[in-house]
Amino acid sequence: MDFGTLIAGILTLAIYTFLYKDNPIYRIAESWLIGLSIGYTLVIFWQTTLVDNLFNPLFGDGKLVMILPLILGLLMFSRFSKKISWMSRIPIAFMIGAGAGVAIPAMLYARTLKQVSASVVPLLGEKGAFNFEALVVVVGLLSTLAYFYFSREHKGIMGKAARLGTYFLMIFFGTTFGYTVMSRMSTFIGRIDFLLTDFLHVIK
Amino acid sequence: MFLIVVVSYILSIPFDTQPSPEVQKAFDYIENLPESSVILFSFDHEASSLPEIKPITLALLRHAFRSKAKVVGLSLFAEGTAIGYRMMTKAADEFGLKYGRDYVFLGFKPQHISAILGIGESITRVFPEDYLGNKTDTIPIMRGINNYDDIDMVITIADGDRPAQWIEYGGARYNQQIMAGLTAAMITSYDPYLASGQLYAVVGGLKGAAEYENLYGKRGGGNRGMLAQTSAHFYVIALIIIGNIIYFRGRKQQGRG
Repeated sequence: MDFGTLIAGILTLAIYTFLYKDNPIYRIAESWLIGLSIGYTLVIFWQTTLVDNLFNPLFGDGKLVMILPLILGLLMFSRFSKKISWMSRIPIAFMIGAGAGVAIPAMLYARTLKQVSASVVPLLGEKGAFNFEALVVVVGLLSTLAYFYFSREHKGIMGKAARLGTYFLMIFFGTTFGYTVMSRMSTFIGRIDFLLTDFLHVIK
Repeated sequence: MFLIVVVSYILSIPFDTQPSPEVQKAFDYIENLPESSVILFSFDHEASSLPEIKPITLALLRHAFRSKAKVVGLSLFAEGTAIGYRMMTKAADEFGLKYGRDYVFLGFKPQHISAILGIGESITRVFPEDYLGNKTDTIPIMRGINNYDDIDMVITIADGDRPAQWIEYGGARYNQQIMAGLTAAMITSYDPYLASGQLYAVVGGLKGAAEYENLYGKRGGGNRGMLAQTSAHFYVIALIIIGNIIYFRGRKQQGRG
């Protein structure tokens, strides 16, 4: 058994001691997890963001244009001083402006226009066959929208449609919850797989 | 629950699963790929999702390597970097493939939206060096791979919102085909993208991995976990039924009292 597997096995068991009750062994393992995750992410970001994207091009390749992002980045730290904290608005404005410019058209197309066009489907398929799935999509879409339409009181037909919409929402929440339970179960099974196979060698 | 999972896992009875249309579609795509097609794997997940992500990834990677596809790996999530590299080398070693010639791992890139958009222009500009520090434009497999025009399929292995960004920026802007290997918890979030055709196919959760392994013909982590998962689900269903019976009986008795 290699050293990494040994450490992983011991830490997995340490985390599972919480099933008995909160204890120092669990808290040590939990602290290690948080510390290591942050440390690993910090090192990766230091290398890939600052070294690769800033220090190397600026000091290694002599790209003087990189002084601009360096200054913008440093301005973010002006927030620590009340007197000059206004300067941090410059890089924030730059980020928001550029970010919105890139995101709005992409999201509008992918999340709205494409989704709307996918929802508008013909009720009659090829050779005139009735498309039941399309009917469910249309009814589900309209009734759920009716539920979120608050400019008119939910009474009469509007009330019935909104009520039907809640059933569609409940089905969605139920499915999502079911998948989430399945996902957490899979994580647990994965750890059991590791413990029984790699760590304890009970199963080959 | 612990006992049910452990016992059913140790029993290790083969569990047959029928492939869902999405998994079948993913499998058929890779199966019918012409030789030397390019597949880009993006490891966009945290380490905590590994138990679920690993069987999906290994099944897809093995199939891609068996289909003689050129595999380019990268990560847009820091924690997925080392995991992605290890899984790629593990799957490639099973086929005796050579790093740099048959597959490459480009490492992690922060600012994922910039990275996804940048690949549309030049992949070597976004990743000047690979994970091992080699100059990307000198790696043999990268000759002829410049941007999305040279990539047949992007497969994002994810447990969060990265596939949405691949769809919004890689798919919508560059018409790049995108497939996803997802944790089960994320499946419903991506169903609308699948229905609209923005996602080509999805291999979701341990069940998706098991289905894919069956199609591929080599049982792995997905299949090993299916009996345990099914037993655990039956246990949960039984508890829900028992809980409801107790609740309604209690209410009935209260009504009488």
